[in-house]
Amino acid sequence: MAEPTDEKRRHGEEEEDDDEEEADDSGYKTVKDAVLFAIDVSDSMLKRPPPSDDKKADRDSPTSAALKCAYQLMQQRIISHPKDMMGILLFGTQDTKFDEVNSGDQSYPHCYLISDLDVPEASDVKRLRSLVEDEEEAAKLLVPAKQDVTMANLLFCANQIFTTKAPNFSSRRLFLVTDNDNPAADKGAKDNAITRARDLYDLGVIIELFPISKPGVGFDRAKFYDDLVYSASPSDPDAPAPVSSATKVSSSGDGISLLQSLISSINSKAAPRRALFSLPLELGPDLRIGVKGYVIIKRQAAVKSCYVWMGGEDGEKKQLAVVNTTPMTDDSARAVEKVDLVKAYTFGGEAVTFPPEQMKLIRQCFGDPTIRIIGFKPISMLPIWANTKTPTFIYPSEADFIGSTRVFSALQQTLLKDKKMALVWYIARKNAGPVIAALVPGVERLGEGGEQVMPPGMWLIPLPFADDIRDYPDISLVKTTDDLTDLMRNVVQQLQLPKAIYDPSRYPNPGLQWFYRILQALALEEDMPEKLEDKTLPKYRQIDKRSGEFVVEWGQALENEHALRLQNRSNAAALKRESATDKLSGPLPKRIKTERGATPAGGEDEAISDEMMLVYHKKGTVTKLTMDKLKRYLSSKGLETKGKKADLVQRAEEYVAEKMDS
Amino acid sequence: MADKEATVYIVDIGRSMGKKHHDRDKTDLDWALQYFWDKVTSAVMTGRKTLNLGVIGLRTDGTNVSDAGVNDPEGYENISVLQTLKQTLLSDVRDLQAKLVPSASDEGDAISAVVAAITMIANATKGKSGKPLQYKRKIVLITSGLGTMNPEDSDQLDAIVSKIKEDGIQLVLIGVDFDDADFGFKEEEKTHEKTEIEAYLKKLTDDCGGVFATLAEAVEGIDTPETKKTRPVKSYQGTLTLGNPEKYDSAMTINVERYPRTSIARPVTAKTWFIKRDPAAEDGTQSTHTVAEDAGDGLNEEVLGGVKTQRVFQIQKEGETGSKIDVPQEELESGYAYGRTAVHIAETDKVILELDTLPSLDIIGFIPEDKFERYLAMTKTNIIVAQKGNDMASLALSSFIHALYETASYAVARFAAKEKKNPLILLLAPLIQPDFEGLIDFELPFAEDVRDYKFPPLDRKVTVAGKSLTQHRDLPTPELMDAMSAYVDAMDLSTFGADDDGNPADYMPMDETYSPLVHRVHQIVRWRATHPTAQDLPGPPAILTKFSTPPEELAESSKPLLEALMRASDVKKVPPKQQGRKRTREREKPLSGLNIDELLSGQPKRARVDPSNPIPTFKQTLATTDNIDTFKIAVADLAKVVYSYITNSVGDSRYGQAIECIRVMREEMTELEEPALFNGFMQELKTKIFREELNGNRRDMWMKVRMNRVGLIDQKLSPFSEVTEEVAREFWKPPT
Repeated sequence: MAEPTDEKRRHGEEEEDDDEEEADDSGYKTVKDAVLFAIDVSDSMLKRPPPSDDKKADRDSPTSAALKCAYQLMQQRIISHPKDMMGILLFGTQDTKFDEVNSGDQSYPHCYLISDLDVPEASDVKRLRSLVEDEEEAAKLLVPAKQDVTMANLLFCANQIFTTKAPNFSSRRLFLVTDNDNPAADKGAKDNAITRARDLYDLGVIIELFPISKPGVGFDRAKFYDDLVYSASPSDPDAPAPVSSATKVSSSGDGISLLQSLISSINSKAAPRRALFSLPLELGPDLRIGVKGYVIIKRQAAVKSCYVWMGGEDGEKKQLAVVNTTPMTDDSARAVEKVDLVKAYTFGGEAVTFPPEQMKLIRQCFGDPTIRIIGFKPISMLPIWANTKTPTFIYPSEADFIGSTRVFSALQQTLLKDKKMALVWYIARKNAGPVIAALVPGVERLGEGGEQVMPPGMWLIPLPFADDIRDYPDISLVKTTDDLTDLMRNVVQQLQLPKAIYDPSRYPNPGLQWFYRILQALALEEDMPEKLEDKTLPKYRQIDKRSGEFVVEWGQALENEHALRLQNRSNAAALKRESATDKLSGPLPKRIKTERGATPAGGEDEAISDEMMLVYHKKGTVTKLTMDKLKRYLSSKGLETKGKKADLVQRAEEYVAEKMDS
Repeated sequence: MADKEATVYIVDIGRSMGKKHHDRDKTDLDWALQYFWDKVTSAVMTGRKTLNLGVIGLRTDGTNVSDAGVNDPEGYENISVLQTLKQTLLSDVRDLQAKLVPSASDEGDAISAVVAAITMIANATKGKSGKPLQYKRKIVLITSGLGTMNPEDSDQLDAIVSKIKEDGIQLVLIGVDFDDADFGFKEEEKTHEKTEIEAYLKKLTDDCGGVFATLAEAVEGIDTPETKKTRPVKSYQGTLTLGNPEKYDSAMTINVERYPRTSIARPVTAKTWFIKRDPAAEDGTQSTHTVAEDAGDGLNEEVLGGVKTQRVFQIQKEGETGSKIDVPQEELESGYAYGRTAVHIAETDKVILELDTLPSLDIIGFIPEDKFERYLAMTKTNIIVAQKGNDMASLALSSFIHALYETASYAVARFAAKEKKNPLILLLAPLIQPDFEGLIDFELPFAEDVRDYKFPPLDRKVTVAGKSLTQHRDLPTPELMDAMSAYVDAMDLSTFGADDDGNPADYMPMDETYSPLVHRVHQIVRWRATHPTAQDLPGPPAILTKFSTPPEELAESSKPLLEALMRASDVKKVPPKQQGRKRTREREKPLSGLNIDELLSGQPKRARVDPSNPIPTFKQTLATTDNIDTFKIAVADLAKVVYSYITNSVGDSRYGQAIECIRVMREEMTELEEPALFNGFMQELKTKIFREELNGNRRDMWMKVRMNRVGLIDQKLSPFSEVTEEVAREFWKPPT
């Protein structure tokens, strides 16, 4: 039975370690997220705020603000969670639209499915855009129904969508945007809604309510929604405890628009929160508490390229092709049964195998997964270079040990106060290799509006082993003088970053942004963007203005100092040479050769200078250079060194030619 | 590339080596071979063709030195070349194992063996013209010094010493029970002959600048893993700039190079092979288990074959969800997925996705050291130094490093290693040592890389009404804070260790910690190679687990403080019963606290599984009762739903839903301690699938069940199950 790889259990995105070749047993459900937006359409939801000259004032009706949010979230999720699903459902519309595949024999009047729950398609984005940007188009659809849609019906509709479209998703959420805090006409209707909400809960779907305050009326959850919304999902025990179970009620006023306030509410729920692990933290031999690990920082990368089916001869719609791989024997190209596959290490030209049980024991001989404190050290003993990968955030959990939170809190506060860290023996999963890590306390950071920017907790920083530490390269150190250092200090002091911190939110990834800008333009058949505003580019004008003078001063001092040293050295060398020639008799030893080798330009190890390359270029002899020399030259210019010789020659010639022109 | 190496081991296998001495449980030879095999298998493991090993037996029964290039065997009696200099393979290991057994002879001169080794190395490491080639040369002499030796006159010793020096050979002497004051070993009642030989060999080693160790020390050293040295390779060569030199005269430019400082060492990886089966033996009864084990006993290419992967490309059939069709690779082009949409971008057009970046390391600004959060360090670290041979750059960089150091600042820089590479943001930190200076760097996160996860504060409790509490069961009491503080102080490691002079020093410094996995895999593969038939794997060496627990002495002295901390903590383990058993479990309530079950029980239709709403109604049916008959009905109902999903599935369109039902049923039956109900259903499902009773061939559904690991509930998962793990594993196989 050959196992196609695309069907292989998809590991959660957090399981990033590629060194773990054997799959572990945890979490067999696909760790993916499906979000269904349900947006209320009613007279009050469609009512626009009174026109105002204030630029900041609201211009959106609640429904259109919600649609804008959905539009933004959809584009964002295509980038950040390319495999996750999203759907958009309007309720309370005059029209009804529902996919037949979903509906079965049920009908859902006044539910209008703008885009079905699925990984979004370019057409979904376009459709939403037209609703958001084209008022006429929106006006046609956004017509409230004469009678109210029953809540029970809407919830069952969501139930069916999740059941059929995202059956194996471990994170399934219904985002409900409404300004109606009591949609039930009578007790019966309310009971039905409660039952249907319970169904969703048992199905593992979380209802996230995004309430909008009606001007002058407000929004009272107690009237209706507190009976429908649960604090945690049963199917997802790894989701962290929410800061407060209820989302802030969005309203306009206080200088922020309804749209902004809604966006901020939704953004805080945008990413499904999943624990990477749930482990005991051992403070001592008999003192354990429960903690969960979360991946808060992770490099976001662009999607990898894939195969696109061009539509065949009939020119059908282009499609993403799925690649299935089957193991085959390399001699006879016969398919191999999975039971016949075996893992083996190569040793002395032969394969060394182990029975599967022993294979497991090789890795699993270091005990169970745990975080065990070995002792404490001052945080100053954690050198800045001692880093190997992105740290993991940990936060206490009461699930296995009651009292974990207070003990964790005591530890975190003590370490903060004493500026200490814990050293821990850390095995993240069954098959993971043990790591020694520093457990460093982190304080809660709040943003300008008092919102949490960085949560309080502790960070597991994996430390390098002796095996992971590389030697320094050989250098011939020329040390600074106090004067030079002082001049450079002036420069450093002039150019502090805002608020004297590195704030990641100020620096979007230019490469990623550009990639998706282009990809989106191609997918949506938009005009190609001209240029990207790259926030990572230093502010050159400011640098010149604030520190230019000091740099120039430093530069002059540097040249003087260098010249002085050269002078001293040549004097010394002259002396040395004199005394050396006195001693030497007979032919000179090999030293001459090595000395020449040490000068930068002509040595074997060094790249050809621009000047030399220019000479070769003019003579047309660049082609006569060896591959090695060409590569060295290109690499010293930071240019690509791959390809055939002709490519390298061309690249080098283009470079010098351009250099010559400028 | 690493240097070429030529190492000759001289192993004393004389009759006396076969004896046990000083109450050891193994013979001198076995003890010596422990060291020998460690070195040899480590060399084999590298797989390097240029790492040549030769082996010469000392005090062998016969004489054979012609393989060493010695023409006249006179004076070389009882010395035999066991392996000429070459890359050692597993087959050589087996050959050597057979040859390295005690001989019947006590004759044989160690010095002659050294001379034979010198000759052997010289012959094997010279070029065509006869000139010696670039090699690392080494002779390792392992002997008990109990043989016969005619201490030569000093003239000849001098000649040997000068030859060893001239050829650049490193001589290593490992002596069985040789005295070693440094290590602290002295053999009592040593014979006069041995004393003499010992002194002679030590002098030889000393004179040619070699290394001597007594075997006990050498064997002890086996446990300290060797770390692989990697030659530094530049990852960037260019300029460090402040400001824009193209536009402003005031910009700073320093030529620099960047090398790795940390890089995670990975264990050797296993490759996938397939087991070649003898068609005649394939009668279906042979289990994989035995084959794999047989394969372990010195397998080779007759047993294993290489595996490659075949790729099949499939697309969704138009208008038919779940149906896939194969497409030829010629109809495919490269592209990207934008959501579900395929965007075709030809290989040659991919440049439009790249930013126009030039190689640069460009400073954005500076931050004070104490304002930097250490957890923002995302990657392994590098070291930036001035361009080699550029004194001005070195001077400039030194002033920059010192300025950062003195102002306690870090620099933040934008970095592109190569043309068209996407920029990264690096933190640059000064590193100053007596004879080394550089900038440490690592990557910092971009806006997209930080996830917006929110957690409640740890030092206060905020109520729903927005009130902030300082006393709560989740918050530590002052007693707990005091106990924690005392414990943290007591368990301090920063002065717990000891340096060479016995002064307090850092315990567990990073250069004394070894990657457990790297060395474990290394250990076991080598062990297997020399113990092909052994059954039980050895445990990991102590040095790999040394830091897995607090140092005993420290834990012992801190015990009273730990006990005080435990009292103040009052942590209670949640009993496993509460986690698992559902019959007594209270059902979750909505925020209002409304009793849902009461509401539900008023609704009659909830007593059976509703095919249009199967999972919630299944759970709710089970929740209302603890009657086994009701369980049975519910399971049968849900089973029907599963069969109907599969039967009505176009391709695999409904398999996901079926799997989810199976998963829920499996979970609920495990919790309710009724695994037999679920296992009965699984048997039935398997039968139906393989008898094709669910609308045709549904074997791919069986694959899906397997891949989602929702098979039989075994005894590991539930103590109430009658299914062993073995049976659960076997269950995956199709019926025969």
